[in-house]
Amino acid sequence: MLGLIAANLARRWGRAALTALGVGIGVAMIVGLLALTQGLKESAAGLVHLGGSDLGVFQSNVSDPTASVLPASLVGRLAARRDVARATPLLLVVDAIKGDPGAVAFGADPTGFFTQRLVMVQGSRAQGAAVLVGDRLAQTRHLRPGARLTIEGRGLRIAGIYHSGIYFEDSGAVMALNQAQGLVGRAGEETAIAVQLAPRARPGPTARAIQRAFPGTQVISDPEEAARAGANATLISKAVLAIAVVALLIGGFSVMNTMAMAVIERQGELGLLSTVGWSPSRVAALILGEGVAVSLLGAGTGLLLGVVGSGALVHLLGISSYVSASVTAWGLGRGLLVGIAIGVLGGLYPAWRVTRMRPVKALARS
Amino acid sequence: MSDEIGAEVALAHVGKRFGPITALDDVSLCVAAGEVVAITGHSGSGKSTLLNVIGGLDRPETGRVLLDGDATWERRRDARMRRGLVGFVFQQHLLLPTLTAQANVEVPLVGAGARRTERRRRAAQLLDEVGLADRAHHVPSELSGGERQRVAVARALANDPRLLLADEPTGALDSVTSKRVLDLLLEVRRRRRMTMLLVSYDPTVGSRADRTLTMTDGRLESGAVTAGVT
Repeated sequence: MLGLIAANLARRWGRAALTALGVGIGVAMIVGLLALTQGLKESAAGLVHLGGSDLGVFQSNVSDPTASVLPASLVGRLAARRDVARATPLLLVVDAIKGDPGAVAFGADPTGFFTQRLVMVQGSRAQGAAVLVGDRLAQTRHLRPGARLTIEGRGLRIAGIYHSGIYFEDSGAVMALNQAQGLVGRAGEETAIAVQLAPRARPGPTARAIQRAFPGTQVISDPEEAARAGANATLISKAVLAIAVVALLIGGFSVMNTMAMAVIERQGELGLLSTVGWSPSRVAALILGEGVAVSLLGAGTGLLLGVVGSGALVHLLGISSYVSASVTAWGLGRGLLVGIAIGVLGGLYPAWRVTRMRPVKALARS
Repeated sequence: MSDEIGAEVALAHVGKRFGPITALDDVSLCVAAGEVVAITGHSGSGKSTLLNVIGGLDRPETGRVLLDGDATWERRRDARMRRGLVGFVFQQHLLLPTLTAQANVEVPLVGAGARRTERRRRAAQLLDEVGLADRAHHVPSELSGGERQRVAVARALANDPRLLLADEPTGALDSVTSKRVLDLLLEVRRRRRMTMLLVSYDPTVGSRADRTLTMTDGRLESGAVTAGVT
């Protein structure tokens, strides 16, 4: 049966290849968007645990966590809580570092735990108007202590290179909070507050208690929440669902059209199979198998295109510093499932048509 | 050599129309197990329709068709019946063009769910039986007309049928090749002790059958019924 399926597809390879390509594009879009969503989640995880914090406090209902604005007075009120050990303000400046628009510049309190836990690998901690650069950014831009980094149009001297172990931080730069606020004209504003909990405090209940105590804030304690907090990530998740449905419909119709044409063209052959004793269900299984085989071929191509394309897209959009396309086995599995579903859906109607075919009429058309 | 013994065929008052044309008109017929019956007649006299109805490829509108006492025409059962009881040879070989001779012979065995090794062994044996062992890996376009028809005969024998239905098996062949194919059909029938119904224009076919029946305008000549069929 498999040999017959392969031979039949090879006979009309051009049509089979074009159908497979159509399926492949749909699957590639799904895999690519899933990879981006996963990448956003992982980036969000970095955002939650910036500076080794347990919780991140953001403004609620913002399009993206980096668009959050919080008042400076909030830090002291948070730090005064019994369930909070330490709180430090952060200002995230995106699209500000010249030559690397995806990198984030962090404005942080020099005495806060965010800055204090940075491990200096070259140079020294920043003094005055100097800036610290993450080792990943330093590596990609070939930066050294003493060189200058342009942030928001101002050239700042690099005091040292640090490593934090958090992708987001290591791909960006850190400067004093008031310096960052001055650069972007946002005096007295913060993007987020990184919170370390008191020894016996639990993240979930504490996050809810803080949200109740400070209306208009959103407290994020795990990466899933972080991904949901950003409207962009939610939009991407919904786009994946929409594209999966569209791919199923368009791919399904495409496969159905191809297989229906094959059934019409090969009526004589299918009639012959019936004549030599193939049951209607076995002939239908042959047609269904051909549909699934085309889809699997397309899904394979789509998986490859999705993996390669999502990585390329991240670089093309210039967001590789804070989002990496993260392809997971489950993401690939979902792409493959959609591919198989397209084949089954598209093959069902032609297969049903075959079961209704009378052998003698089919043979007469051969 | 097979120990198969031919199937009995019985038709009682079978009728079939295609629009205004009467293809079969109250046809009754009995064929004994192992008998070779040639059916002749003009084009459009209903010979092929008769074979199709007997083989379960077409449905009679009236009357009954019995193979070994069992009625035919019930979709699922017909496929099983064709798989285990009936072999067909047509005027056109109807080989699948992308498959080799060996793979074409294997096709009925795939339908019967035979294992790959068994299919290979059986197809090789059948191709050897029809004298095409050395052409097993050729596709139909690489075979002559006679060779293609011999592959079709091997395919018809794949599931060890007890009834062989041959519809103008030599109609598309030259006289020398026709004789060889007819010899082959009669030889395999003799060895396997199958029942065989042959439709042909060729008068030499009739001379080599146990009985020859003539169809005219959908009716069989008298004497077709040799056993009690009601």
